[in-house]
Amino acid sequence: MNFKLDLKFLHGLLYLLLKLISNYAMSHAIETQGLTRRFGDRTAVDTVSLSVPERSIYGFLGRNGAGKTTTIKLLLGLLRPDAGSARVAGIDIARDRMGAARKIGALLEAQGFYPNLAGRENLDLSRRLLCLPASEVDRVLEVTEMSVHGGRRVADYSLGMRQRLGLARAMLGAPPVLILDEPTNGLDPEGIADMRGFLRELPARTGATVLLSSHLLGEIEQTATHIGILSHGRLVLEGALDELKAGVASEVAVETDMPERAMALAREHGFDVAHAGDALIARFAPGKDVRAGTAALNRVLCVAGIRIHALAPRQRTLETLYRQAALSAAPALALS
Amino acid sequence: MQPIHMPRFSTALAVEAYKLRRSLALLLAAVAPLLIAVFVFFNLVRMDKALPWLTTLQTSAAIWAFFMLPMSVTALTALVANSEHGPRAWDHLRALPLPRWHLYAAKAACVLGVVVMMSLALAVLTWLAVQAAGWWKPAIAATGSTDVQAYLLLLGRIFLAAWLLVAVQLWIALRYASFVPALATGIGGTFFAVVATSAKIGAFLPWQIPVNQLASDPSRSQLALLLGFAGGCIALVAMTWHLGRREVS
Repeated sequence: MNFKLDLKFLHGLLYLLLKLISNYAMSHAIETQGLTRRFGDRTAVDTVSLSVPERSIYGFLGRNGAGKTTTIKLLLGLLRPDAGSARVAGIDIARDRMGAARKIGALLEAQGFYPNLAGRENLDLSRRLLCLPASEVDRVLEVTEMSVHGGRRVADYSLGMRQRLGLARAMLGAPPVLILDEPTNGLDPEGIADMRGFLRELPARTGATVLLSSHLLGEIEQTATHIGILSHGRLVLEGALDELKAGVASEVAVETDMPERAMALAREHGFDVAHAGDALIARFAPGKDVRAGTAALNRVLCVAGIRIHALAPRQRTLETLYRQAALSAAPALALS
Repeated sequence: MQPIHMPRFSTALAVEAYKLRRSLALLLAAVAPLLIAVFVFFNLVRMDKALPWLTTLQTSAAIWAFFMLPMSVTALTALVANSEHGPRAWDHLRALPLPRWHLYAAKAACVLGVVVMMSLALAVLTWLAVQAAGWWKPAIAATGSTDVQAYLLLLGRIFLAAWLLVAVQLWIALRYASFVPALATGIGGTFFAVVATSAKIGAFLPWQIPVNQLASDPSRSQLALLLGFAGGCIALVAMTWHLGRREVS
C-alpha cells in the first residue's frame, strides 16, 4: 500500500516538475545559454544568455559590430555556436534546425529579393518552399499594405517598399517568432514612423514575439517592451524596459559659472555629481526623493555663494540606460 | 501556424526554374545556340557548292562542344549563382526550414536542364539555318540524308560528357560571391582546351571532355564520356554536400 502511495506521489511530483519545466520553456520565445561564437581570435558573441518573453517586442541594442547580426545568425541556424545553446519556441536550434526554423520568420539586413521578379512572385517562391497555401501571399501583402504594389517588379521598389515586402515574407505562415534585423535601415522619417506603428501593433495583431535589432535608441524606446544591450559581444543589460528605466538613477543637470567649485562642494556634502559637457550632472539613487534632493543641493550651492543658472531634471531615457550599461561594461571588458 | 508539410525536392526545383523568368541566364540560353545557327547559315551562304547534311550538323556540334558549350556553361553558372549572390539571398534561403542540399541540388539540376534545352535549341536552329540557306541559295542546299537521330545522339553524348564541366563551374560560382574566380576558371579552361585541342590530357580536362565526343578514336571518346559523366555525378554530389554544410558568414 505504502509502495503504491509512493509511486502516486512520485508520479504527481514528476508531472508537476514537467509542467513547471514546460511552462518555463514556453514562456520564453527565444532563450540562449552561454551562446558563444568566435571568428579566429575575435569573439563576436561572448557567452550571451538572453531570454525573450513571449509576445514581447524585444529591442536588441548595440553599436555596429557589437555582435547583434552574429547572434541573429546563430538564432537562425546560419552559424554554428562554438559554445552554448539557443532555443526558439522551446526547440533547440542545434538539435532541430528545421523545427526551430518553422517557428521563425526573419527580415535580414540584406533582404535578398530577386529584382527580375515581382513582389508577389518573390513571396510566392518563399511560400512554395515553406509548403504554405497560395492564399498566404495575399494575406501577408494585405497585412503589410503592399497588395497594390504586389504586381510590380522588385527592381522598381523603393527601399521602404522592400522593407515592407521583407516583413511580409517574414510573416508567411504566421510564425510565432519574428526576427527583424535593422528593419528601419535606410527609411525616411515617414517610413520609420510607419514601421514603428506597424511593429508596435504586431504582437496584438498576430500574437507573435518580435526580436528587433537596431542601433537607433529612440526607435527601440518607442517600440520595445523589453531590451537587451550587447556590447563587444556581451549582453550587458536585459529586462523589461519600464522596470529598467525605473531602476535608473534620476539625474538633474546643474548649470553654474563655477562648475569645479560647485562639484567639489556638492561632493563634500555627499552628492553624486559629475561633469557632462558644460553642465554638472547630479545623480539621485532610485527611490530617492529627487525634488527634496535637488532642493538640498541648490541650498548647499547657494549658501556657498555659487550662482546657479539652471536646475533641470533629466528624463529617464533608454539613452541613459544604454550609456550606464556601456559604462559599467567598459571596465569589465578592459580587464578581460 | 499553418500545418507542417515536409519539404519536397521537386518544390525546390520548381522554385529554381521559376527564378529564371526574365533573367539574363535565360537570355544567354537562347542566344548561345542562335549564334552558332547564324554562323552556320552565313558560312553555307558564302559557299559555291552544296555540303552534305552530316558535315554541316557535325560542324555545328563541333563548334558547340569546342567553344560555345564551355563558355556558355561558364557564363550560365555564374549568372545562376549570382541570382543569390547579387541580392545576398543565401541567408534567407538557408534559414528556411528545408534541407540545404535541396537548394544546391536544385540549382545543379536547373543548370543541367538549361544545357539540355540549349542542346535541343541548337539542333532545331541548326536544322532551320541549313534549310534557310538552301532556300536562300538553292545551289548550296544540303545534300544526303538528315540523320537527326545520330545528330541528337551526338549532342546527347556531348551533354553527358559536360557534367563534370558543369559541376566544376557551378561549384566555384556558388562558392565565391564574386564573378571573378568562376569566370577566370572558365575562360582559362576554355583557352587551354582551344590551344591544346589534340593534347592527350584533353580527355581529362573538364573543358575539353565534351569535344572529345567527336574524336575519331572511339576509345578516347568513351573514356571522355565516362570521365565527364561519372566524374560530374561525383563532383555534383560532393558540391551539394560541401555547400550544404558550409557556413556563409
